[in-house]
Amino acid sequence: MTSENLQGAVRKLMTLDGNSVRNATSKMDLAPRIEGGLAYATDQRHLPGLLHGAILRSTCAHALITRVDTSRALNMPGVHAVIKADDVPGLNRFGIVIRDQPVFCDDRVRYEGDAIAAVAADTPEQARAALDAIEVDYQPLPVVSDASLAEQQTAIHSSHEEHGGSNLLVRETLECGDIDDALSRCTVIAEHHYQTPRQMHVFMETEGGVAIPDGKGGVLFRVGCQSGHRDVEQLADILGVAREKVAVESMATGGAFGGKDELTVQPAAGLLALKTGRPVMIHLDRFESCRAGIKRHPVSVKMTTGCDAAGRLLAHKVEAVLDTGAYASLGPAVLENYLDHATAPLYRIEAYRVSGRLVYTNNGVCGAFRGFGGNQATFAVESQLDELARGLGIEPATLRRINLRSPGDAGSRNQTVRWTAPPADVLAAAVASPLWSRGDTDNGRWLTGTGMAMGAQGNGLGDGLPDSGGGRISLSPAGRICVEFGFTDYGQNIVESITRSVCNGVGCREADVEVVLGSSRGPDSGPTSASRSTVLVHGVLASILPRWMDAVRGHAARVSGQPEKGLEFGPGGIFSDGRQVLSYRELAESTNPGGMTANASQDFPVAPDSEHPVGRYLQLQIATVARVEVDRITGRVRVTDLHHVTAAGPVIYPPGYLGQIEGAAVMGQGMTLTEDMTAHEGRYQADNLDQYLIPTFHDAPLQRVDVLDNTPEDDPYPVRGVGELGIEAVAPAITAAIEAATGVRVRRLPVDPGDLLVAMAAQEQNL
Amino acid sequence: MSDHYPLPETPAQQNISFELNGEAVTRSASDAGTLLDILRESGQITSARPGCRVGRCGACQVLLDGCAVPSCLVMAWQLPGRHVQTVEGLNKDPDFLAVRDALASESALQCGYCTPGFAVSLVAGIRQRRQGSKVDLTECVAGNLCRCTGYGGLRRAIARLAAPGCADEADGRSTSEQEKL
Repeated sequence: MTSENLQGAVRKLMTLDGNSVRNATSKMDLAPRIEGGLAYATDQRHLPGLLHGAILRSTCAHALITRVDTSRALNMPGVHAVIKADDVPGLNRFGIVIRDQPVFCDDRVRYEGDAIAAVAADTPEQARAALDAIEVDYQPLPVVSDASLAEQQTAIHSSHEEHGGSNLLVRETLECGDIDDALSRCTVIAEHHYQTPRQMHVFMETEGGVAIPDGKGGVLFRVGCQSGHRDVEQLADILGVAREKVAVESMATGGAFGGKDELTVQPAAGLLALKTGRPVMIHLDRFESCRAGIKRHPVSVKMTTGCDAAGRLLAHKVEAVLDTGAYASLGPAVLENYLDHATAPLYRIEAYRVSGRLVYTNNGVCGAFRGFGGNQATFAVESQLDELARGLGIEPATLRRINLRSPGDAGSRNQTVRWTAPPADVLAAAVASPLWSRGDTDNGRWLTGTGMAMGAQGNGLGDGLPDSGGGRISLSPAGRICVEFGFTDYGQNIVESITRSVCNGVGCREADVEVVLGSSRGPDSGPTSASRSTVLVHGVLASILPRWMDAVRGHAARVSGQPEKGLEFGPGGIFSDGRQVLSYRELAESTNPGGMTANASQDFPVAPDSEHPVGRYLQLQIATVARVEVDRITGRVRVTDLHHVTAAGPVIYPPGYLGQIEGAAVMGQGMTLTEDMTAHEGRYQADNLDQYLIPTFHDAPLQRVDVLDNTPEDDPYPVRGVGELGIEAVAPAITAAIEAATGVRVRRLPVDPGDLLVAMAAQEQNL
Repeated sequence: MSDHYPLPETPAQQNISFELNGEAVTRSASDAGTLLDILRESGQITSARPGCRVGRCGACQVLLDGCAVPSCLVMAWQLPGRHVQTVEGLNKDPDFLAVRDALASESALQCGYCTPGFAVSLVAGIRQRRQGSKVDLTECVAGNLCRCTGYGGLRRAIARLAAPGCADEADGRSTSEQEKL
């Protein structure tokens, strides 16, 4: 790709780098994390009477259970309780979209890792020893291991009528225009298969936490999670108690990335806590986390995409199969987001038919994972565009520029869209990256190449799902401006971002602000997912702060005797004529506790087109330029540089913004080059981090993030969430760079060095 | 997990004496117990964290006689007479404070679960360097995994620790390459 004419395209470009981080980093939250003082959900060993729980997992991928005998385990030393399916007082099922996953399997196991029983004992060793004493007899069933054949095989959920006796869980098609007519008019057509892997989240803190009984039939959960209020609903139904009896306090969570959105250890821990009357901790080790935990949906897709001689996209046909594994979890929503991204939201296409099937198999369970199906689709879409550009003999950037939507255009689902910047500006900035000018080189062993891809990312749950969130502001008795939301802090810099926004809105200093997150007894903000928290935080604060400040100012005027008009919020307190008249503490002392509180709830902004809006209204864009080195001897690929151009509205907290893009990008690199939890006959082929390889420091590329902030003045929701944006375009950028280096297009991820070598050899023979 | 750790039904316990953060301690540990288990069970040390228990992630990294090691790979029976330091015992140590400030000011962490492990690895590297060894600080963190940050902040923090004043020629490509890009 060569440099293009950029005149006047880029208006506001800011490079986020070490300097912007150093100038903006908040020290308030970081020291305890480095010194080890911050308590994570799995750190709560000091609780009096704490018992340790452990879960018995299936050893078969698919089998009938003919007998479960826990009697020997009950008599083991230190054991306080052993529970199985018939000990579940409420609903023995959970699942965010469809409650199809048993807390403890009763008649059948559907994956290696399905829970059968659980034990609470004085020590973790005693609990594990008791698991070994539980006897389970299985009658093996045929394993559904190939998603593409799953629909022809006997249904693994045949006992559930809602699935109609098939392994097909959801089939969905999005259509626009006359696809057959459009295809018949194409000059160039690219038709290819693409495959993306079953990626594992690898949060450093594996699933875990404690359930604490209140002695009155209720339970408090302190477990790493992403959606406390929703968990309360599911857990109350499982425990067979009223929702008021269940509370969730999400502790600091050691990473989540979607993998803690579904319930993990909560059902077993809660049941054991109620049964024993004592707090129960369950902390999965990495082996168990690998085996039982949620993964990213592997996708196999065939795409047929065509354009006319001028490079205009006419037709785009997509047939995708997503393997959701043994249970639905968030699979149906992932399918929806996959299909939305497979319509190529950035580009105008005359006609498309985008269909996808979500199937059950015995390959573990897949669910939410940063990108949420979107990045899997973008990998294939962007690859297709490169194929068409090659077919036409034009630059990939040129083909994109011809087809990119303009800010006034409707979205790919014919919905109203709010772009953060004209997509063409993002492309232009990426083409201006200095990475291009380094050129493709070949030093005999290492071949280098540079590639680029684009991506769009919506904020919010999308497609008419109920999506709202609330927050609360008050003055704490200690005189701090206390802001509460229901979101979980799992390392996404949300505390810093909220603090910064409150300081900007109020005019106070960081030390005046206290951010309280993640209590189900506090405001319901909805799930910490879908890049939605930042948008909701800013929407709620915008509505709440003026009201609250007016009320506080009025109160301050009465207390101080100063005219209300001259009072201003400042660092540490209320000021008049540049002099502090009341500290926040004095103000708090002059009112009843909770006396100065304001609440607000906001619906997530959706396209105002219809009662059931489709697609995403708030769109962000990214272009990623990747530079790689390919080893001609081993086929190994090294990503040396990633340069991103992002358009996601104004930067609220620079270190957080930069860290989210950099972190998501390296996660995307892992999916592209090394990460795949392959399954053979339903058995995962890796069980720990010595076999499942995520990028290390030395695998991570140098990165640069250029922020394009020319959000239109009239955009009512300029502040957007960037938690997922960085992963969107990494994979196709890397494979484009590999092609630039070697001439080989890789369509199956992760890149297999052996396959790449073979293809390179074939390529050289053909030349 | 029971597949991977076949344990006797009643693991034998023994008392193990060693030095933890400058204090002599005696802890009960099972034959199969590791230093990580001992630290976690006390409830007082939370900075050493289980991430993989096979020595691949570095989240449980501690100083054992001054060397950074994953505490999940140190067996209890290896401990008598040894000196163990965790970040809880380093909070006045100038090398740790330098590392802490570099990590904080470069925003080298997000969830923070892995961070004490990185800090321990870097403190060990800085001490080795002071004793005259040629140390590449980036090699010191090769055994530490971070899933949140993409290592950008860590790269910046290491460049800062390697800068003049902390005389080192650590990462050949860190700062200069970054600025060039």
